Amino acid sequence: MKRERSKKYFWLQRLRILTQVVFFLLFFVLFLQTHYPGEDYLKVAVERFFHFDPLLFLTASLASRAIYAALLLSLITLAATLVLGRFVCGWLCPLGSVHQFFSFIFKKARVLKPRKDDQASLAPKYLILLVVLAGSLLAVNLVGYLDPLSFLYRSFAVFISPLLNLGLAQSGNLAYWLGLKSLGQAISQAAGNLALNGVFQNALLIGGLFLLAVLLNARKERFWCRYLCPAGALLGLASRFNLFKLKIDPEKCINCHLCSIHCQTNARPYPAGDWRSSECIYCETCAAICPTAAISFPAGWKAEKMQGVDLNRRRVLLTSITGLVLAPIFKISPLRRRSNPALIRPPGALPEPEFLGRCVKCGECMKVCPTNALHPALTEAGPEGVWTPVLVPRIGYCEYYCSLCTQVCPTGAIKELTMEEKVTVKIGTAWVDKTRCLPYALGKPCIVCEEHCPVSPKAIQLVKVDTLTPEGVVATNLAPFVNVDTCIGCGICENKCVVMDLPAIRVSSIGEHRSSHNRLVLPVVEEQGE
Amino acid sequence: MERRDFLKNLIVGGLALQLAPEVLAQPASPELAVVEGESPATITREAIKALGGMSRFISRGDKVLIKPNIGWDRTPEMAACTNPEVVAALVAMSLEAGAKEVVVMDHTINQPKRCYARSGIQDAAKAAGAKVLFTDEQRLKKMSLKGEWLKEWEVFQDFVEADKLINVPIAKVHSLSRVTLGLKNWLGAVGGNRNQLHQKIDQAVVDLGAFFKPTLTVLDAYRVLFRNGPQGGRVSDTRLQKTVVAGVDPVAVDAYGATFFELKPQELAFLKLAQSRGLGKFELEKVRIEKRAV
Repeated sequence: MKRERSKKYFWLQRLRILTQVVFFLLFFVLFLQTHYPGEDYLKVAVERFFHFDPLLFLTASLASRAIYAALLLSLITLAATLVLGRFVCGWLCPLGSVHQFFSFIFKKARVLKPRKDDQASLAPKYLILLVVLAGSLLAVNLVGYLDPLSFLYRSFAVFISPLLNLGLAQSGNLAYWLGLKSLGQAISQAAGNLALNGVFQNALLIGGLFLLAVLLNARKERFWCRYLCPAGALLGLASRFNLFKLKIDPEKCINCHLCSIHCQTNARPYPAGDWRSSECIYCETCAAICPTAAISFPAGWKAEKMQGVDLNRRRVLLTSITGLVLAPIFKISPLRRRSNPALIRPPGALPEPEFLGRCVKCGECMKVCPTNALHPALTEAGPEGVWTPVLVPRIGYCEYYCSLCTQVCPTGAIKELTMEEKVTVKIGTAWVDKTRCLPYALGKPCIVCEEHCPVSPKAIQLVKVDTLTPEGVVATNLAPFVNVDTCIGCGICENKCVVMDLPAIRVSSIGEHRSSHNRLVLPVVEEQGE
Repeated sequence: MERRDFLKNLIVGGLALQLAPEVLAQPASPELAVVEGESPATITREAIKALGGMSRFISRGDKVLIKPNIGWDRTPEMAACTNPEVVAALVAMSLEAGAKEVVVMDHTINQPKRCYARSGIQDAAKAAGAKVLFTDEQRLKKMSLKGEWLKEWEVFQDFVEADKLINVPIAKVHSLSRVTLGLKNWLGAVGGNRNQLHQKIDQAVVDLGAFFKPTLTVLDAYRVLFRNGPQGGRVSDTRLQKTVVAGVDPVAVDAYGATFFELKPQELAFLKLAQSRGLGKFELEKVRIEKRAV
């Protein structure tokens, strides 16, 4: 028999790889573009990828009981999947491409040796999806942990971005050391323009999980896509009418198993009739690798004998119940009674319950923040709020004329604000610690917090303070006094305070605009007339 | 020398001085030029002209570093950063005088890119032909400042390596040093924990002023910040003064700048310290001042 691989599917496979590269680069370019562009408003919707994610649409809408218009774009993805199957996973998803790339590397390095007959159940991702959906029904938004776009973007924002920044700094340093001054200068200016954030709390945890997800490809090709991805599961459930159906020509097939061995998602192209259409991501590997060109994907509406989703009724029921029982546990948090002083949310953040319902923990806001002020929470926001953004003034402060985080939030958890709105938003209140403040505690002059206060008239006013020193001298100095009504909680005072470890002026969340109970005093309303 | 020759010389010389004094002694150019006018660029040019022209300060092939105040993420009408037109005029004049390269740079307080953009300085200086660079942490080096208080501090090497330094501060009020003018502007040339300098700010600015000896100080008082300093926030915190003060003596420039805020130079501790340090003189009555209006 004539042995020849299919040219058509070879080129289709190349086209798929090219598409993957293009979409990954697009993702990365938009990632790098998520920064201050030199003007107040971003011209490009850098968060656009997220809007095409139907899982985010479904869960964020369910959990917040509201529809965010931009996410309606994901219906395009859903509609396309209904007709064409999970091609998004194989051709477009940037995280899928990362996994595919590392699977390829691990295979080449013979670390990953795919087996002929892999019986491992592909059900876990469907069960994960069920838990996430059950949570959303109970207004607990768990999607951010494993949604592929959130996972990838968060890892890049919190882990890759600081590494890139470090790399730039080091290469600049090296250039200067080698005497290449203009190269060093070019690198430092590029770094200044890219404005990559250099430090993140919990970066090791988030980066470690990313590395783990990548390393799992050494065990199974596209481990994440096969077993974990809830978005892939959703698309799998949606891919009911795959227009292009796998067909093996029995005349040509030599039963070599190559197609099954190298199937990226273990969709079982062989033997005929075993093909699991909801697992197939149309990577075209089987058709391209077949030594006799026996495999093709002809278009046809006629139902073929296919295997459905790897699920049974009992599992679905059990998992759904588990999800419904487990999800409320996320709600058991003392934060429902008392606000956390350290939970300072970005300006424009919705009231906490709505915020948690919408936030998908993607890290867009953390990436775009020009002062590196926003960080993934660990315990600050309770169990639901792990990796949601929290402003840490000691590391960065909220820049007065900046509303970038409100512009990039893909789900509207942070409401978009104009510059005029932004400068009026109060996210917390600054408090002077007189036991550490230089004029109060040491009788030394320092007005650094007052100097940096961006509000006019300044929310930090100066009062004359006498401090008795051990020598019996009374030192009179100007000392800060915070006007809680005009303070917007931006945190620049805490950020610039010269007491480096525990600053002598600190911002806490009280007075934040979005809460009706985390307040100090009722708003004073001037009595009219009479 | 013979007595006769000496007498002869004396008589001839005396006569010459009587008849044409400018032959022997050029009319001394002013130490301070104070120019008022509608256009920031024009008054800047006029002030330099009054001092004898840029070529008096910049030689052909010089690498010039211009240090404006770009500290804050504020627009020019907030008067928190140096007027961009003043900076651009100095860039253009330096290039006209034959400078090989003009760099504009400041270690900002708010995020650098935002300050460079919103202040308008990046665009204006680039258009005038300057290289506008962000400060680079890699270029910080701990240096011996030999100050009274600051023995050593981290300094951006760009400021040390430049052939000529032009300091272009803006006149603003400040709650600790009362005003922030030229000497205090050098806080933007150093790294480290700059805010600690405020514990002895007067000494710190003099130590820095003694280390960075600028070729020229050009004080932008086109729009001055008289309230809520040093970054203001409302246009009503500013006042149009429409003046530029330029001079070689950084102390005299600052002394003149103080008068915009109804302050007498002797009221400012840092000016006294600077004078006794030999950086210049603050007693304006002893300074040759030329005032012009254009």
